[in-house]
Amino acid sequence: MKDKEIQFIGKITAGITHEVNNVFASVREISGLLTDILSLTSDESFKHKEKFNTSLEKILNQENRGVKLISQLNKFAHLPDSQSSEIDINENIQHLIFLTERFGRVKSIQLQMQPAEQEKKVVSNPFYLQMALFYCVEYFLNNLKAGGKIFFNHYNNQNNYSINISAEGEVFNLQKLFNDPSSMELSNLSKTLEVLDAAHEFDKTNKSVKIKLSIEK
Amino acid sequence: MEKIKILLVDDEKEFVETLSERIKMREHDSVVALDGEQALKKLEDEIPDVVVLDLKMPGIDGMEVLKRIRKAYPKVQVIMLTGHGSEKDEEEARKLGAFEYLEKPVEIDKLMMKIKKAYKNKFESSMMAATFAEAGEFDTAKEIRDKEEENENLNKVKKKSK
Repeated sequence: MKDKEIQFIGKITAGITHEVNNVFASVREISGLLTDILSLTSDESFKHKEKFNTSLEKILNQENRGVKLISQLNKFAHLPDSQSSEIDINENIQHLIFLTERFGRVKSIQLQMQPAEQEKKVVSNPFYLQMALFYCVEYFLNNLKAGGKIFFNHYNNQNNYSINISAEGEVFNLQKLFNDPSSMELSNLSKTLEVLDAAHEFDKTNKSVKIKLSIEK
Repeated sequence: MEKIKILLVDDEKEFVETLSERIKMREHDSVVALDGEQALKKLEDEIPDVVVLDLKMPGIDGMEVLKRIRKAYPKVQVIMLTGHGSEKDEEEARKLGAFEYLEKPVEIDKLMMKIKKAYKNKFESSMMAATFAEAGEFDTAKEIRDKEEENENLNKVKKKSK
C-alpha cells in the first residue's frame, strides 16, 4: 500500500473513532443519569433497585472497555499522519501490546514488556515502526505453542536504538524456527525495515529466539 | 454551596442535554448550546461562570469560540471537553487561556471538581486584578476589568432593549 492509501484509511478510521467515542460519552451520561436518579430513590419504593444498579455498573464497565479500545484505535489511525516524528518507545510498545493482545489471547500466548526506566525516544516513521514490531510478534505467534511468552525490551546504544523481541516457550518446529527464518512474516519485516532504514538480526542462543531491531538515532 | 452558572457547548444533543440534567441535579445552573454561534449568543444573554466547550463542532469551532470568549469575557473560565484531542490542540487551548483540557467521556465527579476549581479561579483572578489595580499596575489587570465592565453594561442595554 502506498502512503496516500494508508493515510486515507487512517483518516476515515480516525473520523469514525471520534463518532464512536461520542456514542460512548452519551451512553455514560445517560446511564449516569439513571444512577443519579436511583440514588435519590429509596429501597422501599423501588424493589428492583439493586438489580438496576448492578446492571448500570455493568453498562459502565463495558462503556469503559469500549472507550479504551476506541481510544487505542484512534491512536493507531493517527500513526500515518506523519512520516517522521519523535516516538516514545515505551508508549509505542505498550500500544502495540494492546493492539495485538487479542491475537495472543486466542493462542494463549502472553505479550509482556520490560519498560525502560527513563523515557526513550527515537525519530522514525511511526506507522512503519509499529508494522515492523507487529511482524515480529506475528512471527512468534505463528511459531509458539500455547503458554508461550513474547517479551519486549529496549535500550540505547551509542549510534542506534535497539528493540528486542524475544520468545519463551515451546515452538511448533524448532528446526524451522532456527534454520529457516525466511517466512512470510520475516520477509514482510525486511521490507518494512527497508522503509525505516533499520536493521534486524537473529539471536538464537539459549534455545530461544530473539529479534533485535536497530533503529538509527 | 454556591450555585455555579455553567454553559455547556456541544453538538452532541443527547450527550450535552443529559450532562446538563445531571449538573442541575447537583444544584448548579446549566444552559446548553449546540454550536459555537449559539454559545456566543447565550453569552450575550447571560454571562456564565464557567463554559464547558467541545473542540470540534460545525460552524465556529471550539478553539475560535474559546478565543472570542477570552477576548470578550476574560473572567469566564473555559474548560475544553473533547473527544480524542491531540497534544497540539491541548497546547493551543491552554495558550489561548483554557482553564482545563479534558477528554470525553469524563466522570461527572471529575468534571464537577474541575468546574468548581475553575469557578474558584475566576474569583481569585478577579481579586488579583483588583490588587494589581490598587497597587497602580494598570496594564493587563485593569484592561481585563474594563473590558468585563464594558461587556456587562452592553449586555444590560441589550436586555433592556429586547
